Amino acid sequence: MSAPRLYGDLTSHVVAFCRRLRLHGLPVGPREAADALRALGAVDVGDRRECYLALRTVLTSRRDDLAVFDRVFEEFWNPPQPEGDYGPQGPRPPEAGGDGAQPPPALVEWLDEALQAQGDEPLPAYSPIEVLSQKDFSTFTAEELREVTALVIAIARRVATRLSRRTRAAQRSARVDLRRTIRHSLRRGGEIIELAYRRRKIQRVRVVLLADVSGSMDLYSRFLIQFIYALQHALGRVETMVFSTSLTRITEAMSEDDLRQALDEVARRVPDWSGGTKIGASLRTFLDRYGAQLLTPRTVVLVISDGWDTGDIDLLEQAMAELRRRAGRVIWLNPLLGSPGYEPICQGMRAALPYVDVFASAHNLDSLRQLEKHLAARRR
Amino acid sequence: MHPEITRIQAMLEGQGYVADQTLATSVYLAIQLRKPLLIEGAAGVGKTEVAKVMARALDTDLIRLQCYEGLDATTSLYEWNYQRQLLHIRLQEHSDIPLEVREREIFSEPFLLKRPLLAAITHGRAPVLLIDECDRADEEWEAFLLEVLSDWQVTIPEIGTIKARHVPYVVLTSNRTRELGDALRRRCLYLWIDYPMFDKELAIVRRKVPAINDRLAEQIAAFMQFVRKTKLDKTPGIAETLDWSAALIALHHDHLDEDAVAQTLGVLFKQRDDAERVRTQWLDHLLGNVAALDREPRPWTQDAIDRVAGQASSPRR
Repeated sequence: MSAPRLYGDLTSHVVAFCRRLRLHGLPVGPREAADALRALGAVDVGDRRECYLALRTVLTSRRDDLAVFDRVFEEFWNPPQPEGDYGPQGPRPPEAGGDGAQPPPALVEWLDEALQAQGDEPLPAYSPIEVLSQKDFSTFTAEELREVTALVIAIARRVATRLSRRTRAAQRSARVDLRRTIRHSLRRGGEIIELAYRRRKIQRVRVVLLADVSGSMDLYSRFLIQFIYALQHALGRVETMVFSTSLTRITEAMSEDDLRQALDEVARRVPDWSGGTKIGASLRTFLDRYGAQLLTPRTVVLVISDGWDTGDIDLLEQAMAELRRRAGRVIWLNPLLGSPGYEPICQGMRAALPYVDVFASAHNLDSLRQLEKHLAARRR
Repeated sequence: MHPEITRIQAMLEGQGYVADQTLATSVYLAIQLRKPLLIEGAAGVGKTEVAKVMARALDTDLIRLQCYEGLDATTSLYEWNYQRQLLHIRLQEHSDIPLEVREREIFSEPFLLKRPLLAAITHGRAPVLLIDECDRADEEWEAFLLEVLSDWQVTIPEIGTIKARHVPYVVLTSNRTRELGDALRRRCLYLWIDYPMFDKELAIVRRKVPAINDRLAEQIAAFMQFVRKTKLDKTPGIAETLDWSAALIALHHDHLDEDAVAQTLGVLFKQRDDAERVRTQWLDHLLGNVAALDREPRPWTQDAIDRVAGQASSPRR
C-alpha cells in the first residue's frame, strides 16, 4: 500500500479485505466497509502504518478482534513472497470454500444427526418418555435420538423460564415514581396524597457455561451442546465456552438462530474438539481472559466435565479455588455420576470437588430437569 | 503521517497527555467521521483522560455521564423539576386558569432539568460527550443509548421531539466488567489502550511529576513493567504510578530500595491481598530485577526489561 494506486482499485481491495475479515468472524458489514473507505479517504493512503491504524480503528470492535485483524491484515496486504519483494500486493484470490478449516470429524457426524433430529416430523405419540428420562445418554440408539433432542430443548426452555420467574418474585421492591406522583397531585391542587410507585429492575442471574468437549466426553457432549444451545436462547444472559486442551468462547456462534448454523459456527471455531483434556489450563485461561467481565457474586458458573484431566492438577486446584472465590456459585455437572458405583476418584475430579457448591449428574433427561433447582439456589 | 494526525498528537501532548500514533489516529477519525469512539482497557490507563483532552483540544465543552448499575433514562436524559412544579402549583392554587393550561405550563421547558444526554444534544456548539464506564450500566440502558446515538433526537411526551442542533463528539469508555452488546460496538470506532510500555510510562512520569530525578523516574517506570508481569488481582495502572511517584518524592526517596517500596506499597496496591502478596513473595524479586537492570547500559529499553524479566529466577513461594 506504499505506492499510490487508482482509487477504484483500492475500493475493491478494501471491500475484499472486509469480506475476508468477515470470514474470520469479525462483525464487518457494508456499513463498516463504507466507514473504512471514508477513513482511508481521511488519512494518508501512502503511509502503510496510518492505513493500518485507520482500518483497525474502524473495523474492530473488541479486544479479541485485534489479533485476528493483525493476522488478516498481514496476510492480505503483505502475503509472504518468495523474493524479498515487499511491494504492494493485490489480494490473493479467495480460497475455495471460505476458510479451508475443516470441522473435526466427530462434530460433522453429529451435525448430521442434529439435522435429522431437527426434522419437522412430530414426536411419535407413543413415545415412552418416562423410559427415555431415565436412560443414560450414552446408550441411546439412533431412533431415540430424534425425540430426545426435542426433549432436551424443551427442558432447557422450561428451566430457563422457571429461573427468570423465580428471580423476579424474590427481588420485589418499590421506589416512588415522582413524575406520576406529581401528576396525580395536580388533580388535588398539588396535595400529595397517594404515592405512585415503580418497581425496581429485576436483577437477573448470569450463567457461564464451561463445557468439556474432549474425547472422553464425546458420548455426552452431543446432547449437552444442544441443551446449552437451547438454554442460551431461552435465558439470554448466558456465556458459553468449550474446552478440551484449550478454551474457546462460542457464545456468539451459539446465538445463531438456526441450530445447524450454530453448530457449523462452533465447528469452525473450536480447533481441538474431541482432543485431550487440560481442565486446569482451560479454567486458568477463562479466569484471565474473561474473569473480570463475567464473574460477579450473581454469576453461576456451570462446569460440565467428567473431570479426567491430563494436565497439571495443581493448576486445576488453584483455578477452582479462584473460581469459587470470584463467582456466586459453582456447579459441576458430571455425566459419569449417573453410573452406578461411580466414585469421583480420578485425580482431577478429586482436586476440584472441594471448591464446588453443587456436584450433580448430567447423564439423562431427569438430571437436566434437576438443574433448575441448582441454578436458582444461593450459596449458603 | 497525515498533518492533521500530527497536529492532534501535538495538541494532546500540549495538554499533558502522552499520545502515541494509534491513539491520535483514533481520535482524528472520531472527529473526521463523527462516529462515537469506544475506548476499552484496564482501569487506570487513561481512557477518561482522552475525552477531557479532546474537549480541550477542540476548544469545546465536556459533558460527562458517569454510568452505574441502575442508571435509567430519567437520570441520563431529563427529569422534571418537581420542587419547582410543586411551588408553581401552589402559587396558582386560587387562579382561574383552567387545569389543562396549568398542566401544560408546568410540563414545559423551564421546568425541565437537562441531564447529560439532553444537555449534549441541545448544546450550542458540538460538545464532547463522555459516557464513562458504560459497561456498568444495564443492558436496557445500553439499548436506550444506542437509540440516542443513532437518531440524535429524543422525544419528551409532554413537549415533543427535540433534534440535536450539533451532533456531539462521543467518547465511550469501558472497563469490560460486562461485555457490551454487538450493536453498540458496531456503531463505534474502537480503541484498545494497553498498559504503557516502558518509554511511554517514563515520559508520562517525567511530564506529570516534574520534580522527579532521572534515576528514580527510570526505576519507577521499570519497576512498574516488572510489577505488571506478576499475577495480581488489580494490576496498578498509570494513575497508581503517578501517585506512587508523588509519594516517594514526598518521603524524600531518590531511588528505589526495600524501605522505600515497603513504606509506600499501599499507594501502589489498592487491595490488601495484593500488597501482602507483593510484600511477602515478590518484593525481592522485583527489586532484584531493577538492580539487574541497573547494570545494563542506559537508556534502558523495553527489550532490556523483557530480557531481565526472562532471566530472573522465579520468586519464592
